[in-house]
Amino acid sequence: MTQVAEAKPAVNINDDYCSRCSICGSLCPYDAITRDHENDKMILDIEKCQVCGICASACPARAIDTIYYDRDSLLNYLRKVKPNYKSDTLVVMCKGSAPDFSQVGKLFGVNDFVPLSVPCVGRISEELLLAMLAEGIKKIDILACDEDYCRFHRGSPLTGRRVMALNYMLSQLGYGKDTITMKRNSLKVKVDKDLCIACGNCVFYCPYDAPKLESEGGISFDLDACRGCGLCVSLCPAFALDLENWERDKISDLLPKLIAEMKPPKILVFRCQWAVYPPLNGDVSPNVRAIELPCSGRVEAIHVLEALQNGADGVMVIACSEDDCKQEGVSAKAEHVVAKIKGQLEQIGLGERLGFGSVSPRYEGQAEEAIKQFRQKIETIGTKGKS
Amino acid sequence: MIVTVLKPLDEILESISPYKKILIAGCDGCTQPPRGMREVKTLKQLLELAGKLKNKKFEFKLTSVVKQCDTVLTKSTIKPYVEDIDAVLSLACGAGPQTVAEVFPDLPVIPAQNSHFVGIDDREGGTMFDSCSSCGDCVLALTGAVCPITRCAKGLLNGACGGAREGKCELDPERDCAWELIYKRLERLGQLDRLKEFRPPRNYQKKAWKVAP
Repeated sequence: MTQVAEAKPAVNINDDYCSRCSICGSLCPYDAITRDHENDKMILDIEKCQVCGICASACPARAIDTIYYDRDSLLNYLRKVKPNYKSDTLVVMCKGSAPDFSQVGKLFGVNDFVPLSVPCVGRISEELLLAMLAEGIKKIDILACDEDYCRFHRGSPLTGRRVMALNYMLSQLGYGKDTITMKRNSLKVKVDKDLCIACGNCVFYCPYDAPKLESEGGISFDLDACRGCGLCVSLCPAFALDLENWERDKISDLLPKLIAEMKPPKILVFRCQWAVYPPLNGDVSPNVRAIELPCSGRVEAIHVLEALQNGADGVMVIACSEDDCKQEGVSAKAEHVVAKIKGQLEQIGLGERLGFGSVSPRYEGQAEEAIKQFRQKIETIGTKGKS
Repeated sequence: MIVTVLKPLDEILESISPYKKILIAGCDGCTQPPRGMREVKTLKQLLELAGKLKNKKFEFKLTSVVKQCDTVLTKSTIKPYVEDIDAVLSLACGAGPQTVAEVFPDLPVIPAQNSHFVGIDDREGGTMFDSCSSCGDCVLALTGAVCPITRCAKGLLNGACGGAREGKCELDPERDCAWELIYKRLERLGQLDRLKEFRPPRNYQKKAWKVAP
């Protein structure tokens, strides 16, 4: 595992602006913000913080800074990309509820729209939604995760209340009462019962008791219990399971396209979308392309091997630490999956071309540093000898 | 189930090197995890990557048999490929390649697995261990369902031998003493009097090599 030095915290409370109202502390899903009773300051324990941004979105004094998807960067993004679209409809989507915008047409009935994907819509404040309307947006559609599926527990419910209150206020100002709409969507396992061999692997590995092995007819899933981590999908020995929107074939189709875009050394990264928050319009390295997954549990050995077969010089899996995993302990199991395939690659002299890094977005640049170290290693062993 | 371990990839590569068109045949049967289509595809990818480094090019076809030790299932699954392959690489236990050989006498078949034992899959403990020797004369009713033939290193019928230390076998300190397990189990069941029964030497002629269903 790559060890990464501590860097700048991603969330900061600016004590000069803080009014000690403690709304942040009451909303934080992780009890990371508490009041220090000795000096009456609000204290952020960055080690507990999961960087959801709910505190920053709720702070009435704008005293909380976050380096990802803050108010200014989201507005700047909107101003920059809006002229590229004919539409004045904005679709704001939690990336946990869909990996791309392909479902938006079906869910909201819009085909042309300005897309904005964020890690949790709970970081979008009422004030920011109004500022977006002031930028010329006429309609905002928000796609959040189901409430009990929200990776940050409070982001989706909070956004529901915000939308309700804002629509009420906007209708009083003469706007249509559906100026802001919100829908919820969660991605779940798909089962092909014809392929199931009733081995019980999914029953054993699922952290949520979603699969049940029937005495007749193989497996059945309680989809309300499924939280879409994809671990069962990645381990099913018969390919009987797949994950909505992160289908096996979809990832297989994406791999060669991404690898063809890169310059050597070509580093393909499979990353948990909660371990890394890539900047909006960030610079893209010519050597690195990433496939975002709902959890490192969705990393499949066959995709790692496909990447190497398609010309990647190195493959890296970026996961959350076991303590930070938004799914129950799945990242630790993913590490085992990666270790197993690495062991097999070692047998044929390609072990070093698979890397595993455990990072968190709570410090700036951890993932970038892990990828940089891996890339340097790949450069020393060279790009020849395979592909 | 039958516990198998994938052979070293070098050995597999060496065994298949005389052939070009190879059918990799998995088995969805009793191994845990099953050596089904995922294992088949993963092995194909690994062999292609390894082959490329050694300038060896194979043409793989992939399939998985519901139960490779079943002549009917193996015949129907593999038959459509037979005309177009040079050999079969089997991911089943030792019974699988032999079944393929029975059904297709002219087709070379290569094992990709080493078969170790009929075992218990302790999922939570993360291990699988030897538990049945298929001896043909089951004594589990007398021993609290712990097999002394298999799990006692000496295969004693009238244990314990006296060599165990802190519940572990004197021959392998990692291994539980089967007779201590038997004693504890019978104690829980209130059947310790079973230990007073003398068990005469076993009749190994009872072990069958062939059975009609």
